[in-house]
Amino acid sequence: MIKKSVLLLLILSTTLSFSQTASNQVAIEELNAAINYVNLPKETNSIAVERGPYLQSGTPTSVVVKWRTDVGTESVVNYGTQLSSLSKNETNTTLTTEHEVTVSGLEPNTKYYFNIGNKSKVLSESVSGDMYIITAPTAGTKQFVRAWILGDAGTANNNQRNVRDAYYKYVDAASENTGKTDMMLFLGDNAYSTGTDVEYQNAFFDIYDDMFKKSVAWSCLGNHDGKTADSAKQSGPYYDIFTFPTAAEAGGTASGTEAYYSFDYANIHFIILDSHHTSRDIGGAMYNWTQTDIQNTTQDWIVTLFHHPIYTKGSHDSDTEDRLIEMRNNFMPMMEDNGVDLILNGHSHSYERSYFLNGHYGFANTFNPDEITSGGHTVGATGSGDGKAEGDGIYQKTNETTEGAVYITTGSAGKISGGDLDHQAMSVSLNKLGSCVMEVEDDGLGGQNLTVKFIRENDKVDDYFTINKKGIALKSKAVTHKSDVLSYNSDNGLVSIIVNTNERLKKVKFYNNIGKKVKKSRKAVVDVAKMTKGTYVVEIITNKNTYTESVIIE
Amino acid sequence: MNRKLIVIAFLFLSVQMFSHGNLSERILIKTIEILENPNNYRLYYERGFLYQQHVDYEEALADYVKSESLGNSNKDLKLRMAEIHYLTEDYCNALAQIEIYLDVDSIDVIAKKLEAKILFKLKAYEKSIKAYRYVMNNMIDVRPEDILEYANIILAENNKNYEGALDVIEFGLQELGPNTLSLQLKKLEFLKEFGQVENAIEQYNYFILQYKRKEFWYYKKAKYLSEIDKPFEAKIALKLATSAIANLDSKYQHMTSIIELKDQIKNLESLNNQKL
Repeated sequence: MIKKSVLLLLILSTTLSFSQTASNQVAIEELNAAINYVNLPKETNSIAVERGPYLQSGTPTSVVVKWRTDVGTESVVNYGTQLSSLSKNETNTTLTTEHEVTVSGLEPNTKYYFNIGNKSKVLSESVSGDMYIITAPTAGTKQFVRAWILGDAGTANNNQRNVRDAYYKYVDAASENTGKTDMMLFLGDNAYSTGTDVEYQNAFFDIYDDMFKKSVAWSCLGNHDGKTADSAKQSGPYYDIFTFPTAAEAGGTASGTEAYYSFDYANIHFIILDSHHTSRDIGGAMYNWTQTDIQNTTQDWIVTLFHHPIYTKGSHDSDTEDRLIEMRNNFMPMMEDNGVDLILNGHSHSYERSYFLNGHYGFANTFNPDEITSGGHTVGATGSGDGKAEGDGIYQKTNETTEGAVYITTGSAGKISGGDLDHQAMSVSLNKLGSCVMEVEDDGLGGQNLTVKFIRENDKVDDYFTINKKGIALKSKAVTHKSDVLSYNSDNGLVSIIVNTNERLKKVKFYNNIGKKVKKSRKAVVDVAKMTKGTYVVEIITNKNTYTESVIIE
Repeated sequence: MNRKLIVIAFLFLSVQMFSHGNLSERILIKTIEILENPNNYRLYYERGFLYQQHVDYEEALADYVKSESLGNSNKDLKLRMAEIHYLTEDYCNALAQIEIYLDVDSIDVIAKKLEAKILFKLKAYEKSIKAYRYVMNNMIDVRPEDILEYANIILAENNKNYEGALDVIEFGLQELGPNTLSLQLKKLEFLKEFGQVENAIEQYNYFILQYKRKEFWYYKKAKYLSEIDKPFEAKIALKLATSAIANLDSKYQHMTSIIELKDQIKNLESLNNQKL
């Protein structure tokens, strides 16, 4: 049992020592926190929350709440849409120090206040209402989205705090959607130097505690996380701390592993890859999964994140390092062919942001800034510009011109490490501390803008760009139910067969979406009202010809 | 001493000139530490691991050997040496090293898995299966990659043992979730290889029913049906593929992958029509 005076001395000593490297303000905050802690009335059997709560795997109807206590106890999450009435709860009676509770049955796009505790009492709450869950919008919803992007943040020093504080100021001062952070996207190396549990506490939980209580955190594995995390066993601090969807719980395709996974948020599809431990081979499990996943999405935007950068000349070199080259050569052709819009990487401790690219998989010196139709690697009239409305013009995607993606290496949320910073594919290369914010919002013309800003530790926005997509969520055209030989009226549920006057209808056969014959008729008008909705192939046989048509029964 | 300083200065200049990221810098720092403490086996081990991460396997092995000669008897050194030998395809030495490691720690699943992989490369399939079975039974969280590797080893041991391989896949689907993509894909591959035509078609249907966007699956199914001389069924699948594309959002219709798919459908239709 440590006496209070000894504890206070220890804390003072720690704070004093810390203040030699940290700012006075931080030292004062630490000291106040310590004094408050010491003055708290203590119960001999009191239970303290040592970590969290923090939010994981958010979906439109559920979220995972995790926290750690110093003593094993039950897990209770009380929640409700009114702060004054947290009338619902999820309870797990198993005694544990590592609490993980899935709150389900929620409404999409809805704010729920919550607190955590055990069966006896509340252990952590926010009386000011700063602990809440905002459930994800239903997939496909077109609305404002803001994501905070942090690469290589985990230094646990003032650099990291300053970068954090700059974002907090930014979001609190935002003229629209003030204070709203829909998600945090970590690009790996979240806790230096080896991603241990203690390092995660210092560089992750202690730093972003406030945000973790109201915003879902997602991450990919960095090489420093990988030193203690074992992807082969999915064990170690990284895998213990995070809970990611493995069975497409948040949309996308079931990967069966937390090493790589995907999720939907509003009309954005996020694909998270493991560029460190998992095989990056074409035809490997992660490649096959990625291809299936990206070819299955119907979302308007596709964003991918993984640790090792496609292009960098910072503290790493994408011309010489195998993981970087393999991700570029193996994954990017396939992902670009399927419409990826934004690629977020870390690893190099700098900020490097590309032009609007397509088809550049070689070394830096093979980059050609010409437009792709002229044999180059940039897309559209503005593709080789800075992507700024008041500069060279924003980057543009339409339903007809679907190529073009911006690659960002943003690994300076905790430290900067220099490098040549002269990759030819980059529009901007900065050896500056900072994090990024991605904002997707209506352009007022039926499309959307995706804007990414680089927010320095000194609160300045040193770079930004915008990708505009026109005609978002517009269907290509009304489904054709009429052809020369077939018409379908969904109002009366009738399919009418029209044959030439010199032909005689013999038979009509309907095949469902797995090619099974489900209906046949000899009549020219077929009642399909009771058939299951879906796509059918209709084979029309006359005395002279066989016609094959498709029809969607609605 | 002066010589040391010259070497250090040279190394500093080298890293400025030839720096390939912070691994290079860390190797340099470790090299300087070694210059100061040339008989410290820990430093050689640490630099060897940096070389290994930097894919400089020859240098990594040289450091590991030096570390060992200086008295490093830690079992982890043996694991690293086994990894290097495995990565450089020196499977006999890899096996020798991993066996020494396993003599000290016979329950380490990582080492056991490496042993299974080495034995597989040495075509000692029965021993490889035994080692991998241990891994499967003791691993905390199995990954899809583990299941796929295990199934491949079973087939390597006996290329007719499709029931065994499929059992492993089914085990994986139970463990990891019934829709785990890479396992369902491997199941399809096995069913096709083993000539289980009806089951393979059912497996294509599983993908068609499971996924929102079906155009790629319709095409893949059509290709298979055409290959196994079911041209009419292939024709239906191709029609469904075309219909699925026509009903995609416009932006998807203009993506390179879909444009290529349309070409593939057209070519297959042409080939398949000759069989009708």
